[in-house]
Amino acid sequence: MKQSHYLPAAMALVAALAAGTFAPEAQALRGRGAAFVVGAAAGSASADAANANASASQQQAAAAQQQAATAQQQAEAEKQKAIAAQQQAEAEKQKAIAAQQQAAQAQEAAAAGKPLPAGTVVAKLPSGCTPTPVGGKNYQYCGGNFYEPVYEGSTLKYVTTTPK
Amino acid sequence: MKRREIWRTAAGWVFGLSALGLGSTVSAQTPAVDPAAVQKLERMHQFLDSQPRLSVETQSTVEELHASGRRIDIAVAANVTVARPDRLRASRVGGLIDQRLYYDGKTLTLFSPAEKVFATEAAPPTVEKAIDFARETIGILLPAADLLYRNAFPLLSQDLKLAVVVGKAVIGGVRCDHLLFSRPGADFQVWIAEGAQPWPLRYTVTDTSTSALLSITTQLSNWKVPSSVDDAMFRFVPPKGAQQIRFLSVAPARPMPGK
Repeated sequence: MKQSHYLPAAMALVAALAAGTFAPEAQALRGRGAAFVVGAAAGSASADAANANASASQQQAAAAQQQAATAQQQAEAEKQKAIAAQQQAEAEKQKAIAAQQQAAQAQEAAAAGKPLPAGTVVAKLPSGCTPTPVGGKNYQYCGGNFYEPVYEGSTLKYVTTTPK
Repeated sequence: MKRREIWRTAAGWVFGLSALGLGSTVSAQTPAVDPAAVQKLERMHQFLDSQPRLSVETQSTVEELHASGRRIDIAVAANVTVARPDRLRASRVGGLIDQRLYYDGKTLTLFSPAEKVFATEAAPPTVEKAIDFARETIGILLPAADLLYRNAFPLLSQDLKLAVVVGKAVIGGVRCDHLLFSRPGADFQVWIAEGAQPWPLRYTVTDTSTSALLSITTQLSNWKVPSSVDDAMFRFVPPKGAQQIRFLSVAPARPMPGK
């Protein structure tokens, strides 16, 4: 899949979107976008119908009507597509919220000094950590956890670990 | 999603808003793919591809949705130097974060001088593959990667639904052609300097897969073609006391059998 290899910026945006939460404003925007597409299609349909009325030929009118009907069907299809997109966005939002909650829980647990499962990533070290070298490596120790710095993408984070 | 923590790229947004507005006035009636727009894009890519070495300063604005649901713009500045086919160096500069990325054809290293930590990964043998690797496996996005990528034109021009010469604009004091393109899932605009040296001076990618229509805009300035570059600048030598850490992989390295 060449295409999925490409447009890194756009892909990053998609990822960022999936990670972010959609607020009502964003939902409203989404709705407006759909209304625009649907509205535009319906608008051209009625214009077609008007043209048909002005025409003397009944056949032409019938054809235009059919065209209008097609346009209406198209509008309906667009609407369905918009609804599906909205549903997908809602699902993404729920996923993002769940992920955020999980991260928040980990951060809270870390702050409360509870031991965490190894491999838990936190954005910030809990307060009161002390540098603790083990076996030549530097760890931070606090709340029953050893932390080591890691890059998540280009962001420096901390992950709980068991020093060997 | 770990990919969120990417190395962000992009530019000042004052013009960006009007650019988005412009995009929406291009109605369905506009002729779909204007060969003149495609030709200008191709000419720019040919020009970039023909440079053995490049350096550029980038100022990016990355639009994101804040937890409050409001859009926020993250500003990222970077300096990038490429020596083809297999050297790249990038620094995030002037912000809260000081980070340096080194690619020497063999390894890719990210270094945070303030924290004195670095991580190194074995990397593929070309700039293009290293850009892909950084994005897909480590989750680092290089500023203006689309423009540094050789042979990007066939990829960018494939499946075009729309190509328009929007008009003229002045970016950083230079007269430019403003072009708009639409592909499935993404629109992009590029502002290309007029004349014999068609440098891209601004680049905006808008994610059209959701109606939040978030963009990344990168302003590019101070394009240079260095007559030579010191190989040492692409090679990372850990300073005394620097600690090696690891990358959390965003995606498992994918072996691609049969490819």
